[in-house]
Amino acid sequence: MLDPRDGSLAGLQRFITDAVRSGTASPLDPHRAQGADRVLVAGKHGLSPADRLEIYREQFWVRHVSNLIDDFPTLGWVIGAPAFREVASGYLTAHPPRTWNLQRLGADLPAFIASEPRWASDRLAVDASRLDWAFMEAFDAPDASPLDLSPLAGATEDAVTTARLRFHPSMRRLAFHHPVHEVREATKRGDARERPAPRNVRVVVWRDATFAVRATSVEPIAFDLLAELSAGAPLGQACEAVANANGVSTPAGELGERVGAWFQDWTANGWVSEVAIAR
Amino acid sequence: MGYRERHAIPDLGVGVGLRSAHIVHVLRERPAMDWFEIISENFFAEGGVARAHLDAARAHYPLVPHGVSLSIGGTDSIDRDHLSRLRALVRRVRPPWCSDHLCWTGAAGLDVHDLLPMPYTRETLAHVVERVRRVQGELETPFALENASSYMEYRESTMTEHQFLAELAYRADCGILLDVNNVFVSAYNHGFDANAYVDAIPGDRVVQMHLAGHTDKGTHLLDTHSDHVRDQVWELYRRAIGRCGAVSTLVEWDENIPTWSVLEAEGRAARTVRDEVLGATTKVRPC
Ligand SMILES: [Fe+2]
Repeated sequence: MLDPRDGSLAGLQRFITDAVRSGTASPLDPHRAQGADRVLVAGKHGLSPADRLEIYREQFWVRHVSNLIDDFPTLGWVIGAPAFREVASGYLTAHPPRTWNLQRLGADLPAFIASEPRWASDRLAVDASRLDWAFMEAFDAPDASPLDLSPLAGATEDAVTTARLRFHPSMRRLAFHHPVHEVREATKRGDARERPAPRNVRVVVWRDATFAVRATSVEPIAFDLLAELSAGAPLGQACEAVANANGVSTPAGELGERVGAWFQDWTANGWVSEVAIAR
Repeated sequence: MGYRERHAIPDLGVGVGLRSAHIVHVLRERPAMDWFEIISENFFAEGGVARAHLDAARAHYPLVPHGVSLSIGGTDSIDRDHLSRLRALVRRVRPPWCSDHLCWTGAAGLDVHDLLPMPYTRETLAHVVERVRRVQGELETPFALENASSYMEYRESTMTEHQFLAELAYRADCGILLDVNNVFVSAYNHGFDANAYVDAIPGDRVVQMHLAGHTDKGTHLLDTHSDHVRDQVWELYRRAIGRCGAVSTLVEWDENIPTWSVLEAEGRAARTVRDEVLGATTKVRPC
């Protein structure tokens, strides 16, 4: 532990920062209590210097744990409140907040859950943490300008084939082992009952035109196509890659019609933010 | 010429903190309210509902950004990302001033998201003066620092908080956001005279006042913003307004957030006190 007597403001602030984020109460940590005695004045109402540090330490844990509880409602339901508090404590100790932005507090929680021996094998918990984090990211992702479909009007078939799509910045594509998006909805309604049976689902999370963050499942082949297009592949090339990978006929055939219907859904949902056609 | 006059700081009247619990109601009903304060960091995102609400609210009410994370007293370099987002927000809102707290929020790359007090020494004063000057240079908008509530004091302090704040404001040429409740809370916690504190603050530097409720924890008062303004704080506010004159006043309520009508009534109570002290009736801005 840093000695606060090094005399510098930076040294003093490091000492206090470490005490405030510590998992151990300052009055119960003799070394820290001695450090507090050296730098702080005792309180007026029977508070020792370490007791005064403790006021800030308690606030640190209340504030950050309650933030994580708010940000990860699905994970909270899946593992239960007491376990969630333990996870939050372990997480905040391993990943102390490094940014002013409290919205980013849980950025590493999905990776933390996936690496924790107790939870790594609970695929629903891992899924839930990833979904909750996608909701956080979508909530305040940048806006997109309204979609302009006029470039498509009168475009030749060749031009459409080489068109590239851009998607709303809030959009996230996630593959899960459970229909965890349904769990999140059920917890929001207050009628989540039991853990769902495993089922592979492909989910898109996005912020809609009313600023509500939503999640919906999509067909695996549409999910793959969204992935190709998001990576910047032109429409024709993306369709071909997906068709080959999924063993369906090329865009001129079966897939072509389905792509048309998907495109309508995607634009209606506000997922597509731009159709760029080379002239 | 005093600071307020030099920077044409207006008296916005009495406002309340605009919080997400009430924002939809405010935008739909447009209740009479002189002005709103917004937490700067809540409007830093490049998109989403907060930005849409901000644009809707600023069309109808004066808004003043109030930050909690600049860490002006910190020893890590000022966060470029934070400052550039604050500058963008100020450019978008065009407020008459913006504010943050006289505090630090973390060290060595960590941020504990609290308003930690400074040791009040000549050295730390020089450190904060230099940082305030830099921030003001970037913002190109009058900038004020608020006295935060505190629960600890340092052995090495050689000045009182009000001496430090007054000298800081003078040397950095910034404004002061006088939080009357925070003066009361810290006075209780550290055993100093709240009246003497208010009397020592240079009145012409005060661009805004805060009022809020606190919680008595027995051994200390906690600045919770979770309740009505206490009677002794109203008394201190009378004294502060009597000394500083018609200064924009804002009621903060951040925990156990009440219904809009309760919050509005707290604002009205502040207006009544202000009018009694100033001997004038403050008109509510029609929307
Ligand atoms: Fe305040």
